[in-house]
Amino acid sequence: MNVSLFFTQLANGIGAGAIYASLALALVLIFRTTGLLNFAQGEMALFSTYVTWWLWDQGAPILVAILVSVALSFAGGAVIERVVIRPVEAASPLIVVIVTLGMFLALNALTQVVFGTDAKQLASVFPRRVFDLGGVRLSAQTLGLVGVLVVECVLLWIVFQRTKVGLALRAVASNPTSARLVGISVGRMLMVGWALAAALGALAGSLVVPATEALTASSMQAILVFAFAGAALGGFDSPLGAVVGGLVVGVANALTIEYLEPLRDVELLVPFGIILGVLLVRPAGLFGTQRVERV
Amino acid sequence: MPARPTPLRRAGPAVAALAVLAVLAWLPQYYGSTQTALFGRAIAFAVAALGLNLLTGYNGQVSIGHGAFFGFGAYTTAILMKDHDWPFLATLPVVAVAGLVVGAAVGFPALRVKGLYLALVTLGLAALFPDLVTRFVRGTGGTTLVQIPKVTAPGWATGFAPQDDQWRYYLVLAVAAVLALLAWNLVRGRFGRALIAVREHEAAAATVGIDLARVKVSAFAVSAAYAAVAGSLLVLVTGLANAGRVETFQLSIDFLVIIVIGGIGTVLGPIVGAWLFVFLEDWTKQVFPDTPLLSPALFGVALILFVYVLPDGLIGGARRVTRRLRRRPPPDGTRATPHPEVNPA
Amino acid sequence: MSRIVSRPLGTPTPANLRAPEAKEPHMHITTAHSTSLRSRRRLRRPAGWAALLVVLALLLAACGGGRSEEKRTDGGDGGDGAASELIDTSGCASDPSVEVTGDTIKLGTSLPQSGLYSAFQEILRGEEAYFRYVNEELGGVKVGGKTYKIELVNKDDQYQADKTVQNVNGLINDDKVFALFNVVGTKNNLAIRDLVNEQCIPNLFAATGSPAWGNTKYPWLLGTMLVPYPLEMQAFVDYLKQEKPDATIAVLRASDDFGRAYADTLKRLVGGTDLRIVKEATYNPEVSDTKAQVTSLAATEADAFVLGATLLACPNALQAVREAGWQPIIYMSGTCTSKTLMNIAGPAADGVLSVGSLMDPNDPRWASDPRMRLYKEKVPQYAPEADVTNGIVAYGWTTAAFLVETLQSSPKLTRLAVMETARTLDVEGVGLQLPEASLSVDEDDWFLGEIFTMVRYDAGKGYFVTEGDVLDFSGKTRSITPPDLITG
Repeated sequence: MNVSLFFTQLANGIGAGAIYASLALALVLIFRTTGLLNFAQGEMALFSTYVTWWLWDQGAPILVAILVSVALSFAGGAVIERVVIRPVEAASPLIVVIVTLGMFLALNALTQVVFGTDAKQLASVFPRRVFDLGGVRLSAQTLGLVGVLVVECVLLWIVFQRTKVGLALRAVASNPTSARLVGISVGRMLMVGWALAAALGALAGSLVVPATEALTASSMQAILVFAFAGAALGGFDSPLGAVVGGLVVGVANALTIEYLEPLRDVELLVPFGIILGVLLVRPAGLFGTQRVERV
Repeated sequence: MPARPTPLRRAGPAVAALAVLAVLAWLPQYYGSTQTALFGRAIAFAVAALGLNLLTGYNGQVSIGHGAFFGFGAYTTAILMKDHDWPFLATLPVVAVAGLVVGAAVGFPALRVKGLYLALVTLGLAALFPDLVTRFVRGTGGTTLVQIPKVTAPGWATGFAPQDDQWRYYLVLAVAAVLALLAWNLVRGRFGRALIAVREHEAAAATVGIDLARVKVSAFAVSAAYAAVAGSLLVLVTGLANAGRVETFQLSIDFLVIIVIGGIGTVLGPIVGAWLFVFLEDWTKQVFPDTPLLSPALFGVALILFVYVLPDGLIGGARRVTRRLRRRPPPDGTRATPHPEVNPA
Repeated sequence: MSRIVSRPLGTPTPANLRAPEAKEPHMHITTAHSTSLRSRRRLRRPAGWAALLVVLALLLAACGGGRSEEKRTDGGDGGDGAASELIDTSGCASDPSVEVTGDTIKLGTSLPQSGLYSAFQEILRGEEAYFRYVNEELGGVKVGGKTYKIELVNKDDQYQADKTVQNVNGLINDDKVFALFNVVGTKNNLAIRDLVNEQCIPNLFAATGSPAWGNTKYPWLLGTMLVPYPLEMQAFVDYLKQEKPDATIAVLRASDDFGRAYADTLKRLVGGTDLRIVKEATYNPEVSDTKAQVTSLAATEADAFVLGATLLACPNALQAVREAGWQPIIYMSGTCTSKTLMNIAGPAADGVLSVGSLMDPNDPRWASDPRMRLYKEKVPQYAPEADVTNGIVAYGWTTAAFLVETLQSSPKLTRLAVMETARTLDVEGVGLQLPEASLSVDEDDWFLGEIFTMVRYDAGKGYFVTEGDVLDFSGKTRSITPPDLITG
């Protein structure tokens, strides 16, 4: 067996998985703070990435463009929560899913109308270098992305566990009524949750798109499904789970393509099977909090 | 305890149903083939939504994968008709049974995987199905498109269905009517009550002797069978079976949207929702003829606004209005205007 | 009777001790009214039925009528005056030898204008620019002694075959178009093939290179001047036989019919030569990610790499080849020869081989060509939103020019006459056609784009350079292609 090929494919899988994990983090963040499933997360990230592109196209250095876009998305996420989601926050989660679906359609179309339908190129923050480590080829992009993910996870942990805002977010997610009683502004915390997720999404999109070579209106759609899969695998309320889940999905896909020739065209079976298997054993995902059922 | 309904009251729904059926049957006589195809699509979607409603509305298990069952039924019918020369109606029992089996197969793991995670697993199904089609189906021109031979009206029907597309519509309507009746029966019987009981409180339901596993798996099985047959119906209307990742996702989401805008947990809801949905689809395409890019945007916005105004769907909203009207006391001279209404939450 | 599922292990720090009411990942669905079932039933009835009737009324008010007209025009089989050796009109649902009245020729097209494949809407810009140019500056199209204006009705199908069927039904029955033109997508054209055949309505220049358009059972469908995919493989095999006759070949193809057209033909053609296919990998065209597949192929260190891919998968794969450190002779599908895609690939696209049948708007060699000058002048004038350097716009412009050429060569303005003319077309110098490439079809040869050149992308210059002489495969497509790809 060709060892360096295995590791190269592993690296490919990690590279793809890091992409899924980046979006999965945003999904998990929204879930963790508001308990909602946000179908429009990909398209929000898409719009933010287009904003990054536009800023860069106008002449801003890529890093500045990304930072500005992230800041704008932070604000945008808060606005979306207040204006679009708040009216139905109290209703059944299914209703909210429908609203996010409506947002998905509207944002996608809006992006195409505002920025055009042709494919755009976006500069990459990471250098376009590929390292050859004894036959194993590892791209700077992959390394960079994984690094960013680790930093994001650590930062999120710090925010949630060590800051007042994080505590308030957790309180609101766990029991809004009690949180209100102790003086936490539930509405404001929900806005913060969405704002953070939108910012994360913007960062994800801006870092990830150059890896897939072009920015188009469909850039996020394929990623979204895998991101959901990764988040489900890892546990929807665990940022670490999102990262691990995303990576597992990516690696499973890459290794299947290489080694399981009979599964050609249906490689999806393997990650799907893994997720199903994990969920059967741990119904809340690898790192998710298990449900306690009280009667 | 309310008084027993009078015979007139009891006949009410039957009369209403027949009236609606009559209207639906009249449609292809007046409207051309393009619109008739649209109506056929609405009916097929209604059947699928009825099935999904059983699972998600009555039983509380959310599925975003019914597009896969739908496509499964579509391809089964199309392949049987094209490669093996089966007549359309003969394929339906096969599709229904196969749908039950596949649904049950998905229903078993669903016992353990719940809620959000179940929804995502079904999403995975919707992603997987088109890949399976790509791998195993060789249709027209080597693509995954399977086109059925033309279905023409038999001699005895040319009186009321001189054109073939009218005949196909009537077939679809007939099958759908039977399935709707079946659904209504299921829902008001023990099965329906068991579904609701399991949704509301599993532990309590188990206490009164409901076999949780059987109810939940059956719900999956039946809803998948409905979706599969609906797929077959659409094949009859369009003449082809087709599944890409985008199409299958879109269908899964469409069905979910339909049951929400129609009204979850009612039998009429999915039907109303399907017609409303198809209408909305068509209308949004015509509003901006010069910028087709905006149609999905308009659709999305319309959806959001609809759900704001009517969070319990059209049927739910209609019921609220009716309840308000009924609560109003009859004018009797002692009051100039009726009392302001306390909102029945 | 509480059921506590196992908790994550670890000391119960505040981090992993969740309150029992912790937000759980479940979606609890309830109906709005949890009143008793029986009373619910009674209240439900009138309201629900009323709602249903309201919705039905809404829908019906928005639709026109139409059935009575259809019944009238549906009179048996036409074709009783339409004798033709080329096309059998005995089964036509309507008479194709009826002359068009009025001053306008109404054409219909269905293509993706929103959704995943919305980039194809640029074809429409090219077409509309040409038709506007003809209408306004040339006064219209002259057919059989009379001049007509051209009107193009376009619909959006989001690349989904069932939507195409809906659209075309509408175009035929409601808009009453004379002919269909430039419908995009293999599946989309296949889906309407039977309909068009029955109604005897020309479907001209179907925008795909699928060999399925050679199927003689469907005379009312004409393919386009895109080089048919099997011919591309013949051209490349000939090239390899000259440059490296014992080359090993690795293939990456889309998992659908498009990809199969390349792979199956290639397999057939290398039989009997010293060329060998060592590995074949597929990718899902709806996902466009090819990194793992290319890595797998790169491990074979094959001498040549055939890329049967389209849209974004092309630059994706080219980039992956570069990153893998692999340097094969690369052949890329002709559908990828667009400046946008090559720009995305950047230096990775340098030296890639493909085929071309149109003049590249970015190539300075054609800058002084009168047809190129016309294109570059009129497109900004009549379709200012379009990007003149985009190959897709050039394609739309050229196919529109073909259509006008067909119409003008037709003896009279009937569907039958126009279709027969299209079936015996022999033209050169139309639109942005390459000067050396003449396009022709006849009774035995149903494929248009059989004369073309191989091209090689020069990343430094930013356009495709001609490689070698003009290749003439007139009449050869059918013999090269595996039969099931044509008649399947």
